[in-house]
Amino acid sequence: MGALAHYLEETGIPTTQISLIYEHTDAIRPPRALWVPFELGRPLGVPGDAAFQRKVLLSVLTLLEAKEGPVLDVFPEEAPDTSSEKTEGEDTWACPVSFAPPPAEETGLEMKIQALKHEVTELRPWYDIGLEKRGRTAMADFDPETAAEVLCDYLSGKAIGIPEREISPAVALRLAAQDLKSFYFEAAISRPGAKTPDSKAFANWYWTQTAAGEILKDIREKCAAEEDRDLQMAGKMFLVPMGQ
Amino acid sequence: MARLDQMAEPQRSHIANLPCPHFDKTPWATGPELSKRRVAIISTAGLHRRGDRPFTGMDGDYRVIPGDTVANDLVMTHISTNFDRTGFQQDVNLIFPINRLQELVAEGVIGSVADFHYSFMGAADPSNMASHAQNLARLLAGDNVDAAFLVPV
Repeated sequence: MGALAHYLEETGIPTTQISLIYEHTDAIRPPRALWVPFELGRPLGVPGDAAFQRKVLLSVLTLLEAKEGPVLDVFPEEAPDTSSEKTEGEDTWACPVSFAPPPAEETGLEMKIQALKHEVTELRPWYDIGLEKRGRTAMADFDPETAAEVLCDYLSGKAIGIPEREISPAVALRLAAQDLKSFYFEAAISRPGAKTPDSKAFANWYWTQTAAGEILKDIREKCAAEEDRDLQMAGKMFLVPMGQ
Repeated sequence: MARLDQMAEPQRSHIANLPCPHFDKTPWATGPELSKRRVAIISTAGLHRRGDRPFTGMDGDYRVIPGDTVANDLVMTHISTNFDRTGFQQDVNLIFPINRLQELVAEGVIGSVADFHYSFMGAADPSNMASHAQNLARLLAGDNVDAAFLVPV
């Protein structure tokens, strides 16, 4: 991010930017930056809080009036805690969808695949209702069933890839994995009485209590044994977050 | 929490050890007062219009996002799994604050919002972005942009 500011400013375009990693911005020294103490993925602080976003935005745009630089300011406020269903000391969000227990490590592949398909079927109507209500989905490339199918096909040893779109198997796996997680989130928050979890609570639920999370971890292992370096890298870095 | 010292391992070490490009000096361009600036968003979140090419590698290229792109047509294909996406799922303005900018125009705080905005994919090597940034600068100048607002993810 800071490098881009250098490149653009050198051409005469004034820049200002948000910084999420203070240490990086301090090292790169872009012309104007505002470090914010928010989690990665939330540069404006809080979803749905226009007043807070406006405050951040004004702080970063005002840096354009600085007389000299580089400027690296610190935004003084933490993002308000908006998690609505977590008690103190509890990181596991109680998703109101009733699944069977996630497949155990030793569960056979076919049972895991069936468990994933069952979850997708259970969640699909709530995803549809949520989409209708919000008018928006973050699923970028696949419908839910196809995303699940791409992942299951790979794990079953079947050919994957989207030749007509020139997408390699590694990219197809990554996009399907991202879309499947988006689907679970949008469906889960659309159930009657469902609250919106914070990112950590959702991640804990998805990666430890669903068949989807279990299958993605299996895919990570399978990718690690591939000769294809793109698949190796996808498994190592792009399917399951660090620490899961 | 994006404070390195409060991040869990192994993510903390991974981010701390990412190489940062070195620049001998910091360039400094000037413009009119804020109320007359024309602002464009430059994201590194791997955003693009639905149906546009997903980000597939470390090419350092960017995608064009027209200012009138509706929320459901803005998607993200950043390669990293190590940041929150549920916030973006709830509110595009969390990452692409187009509505907030339009409100500031209505209040007279800034002059105008650019017709076109852009997104890179921030995991790419910054050196690969350099030539693309040169092209982007010409596009921004053509849109009379005199304030590029860079938003990471």
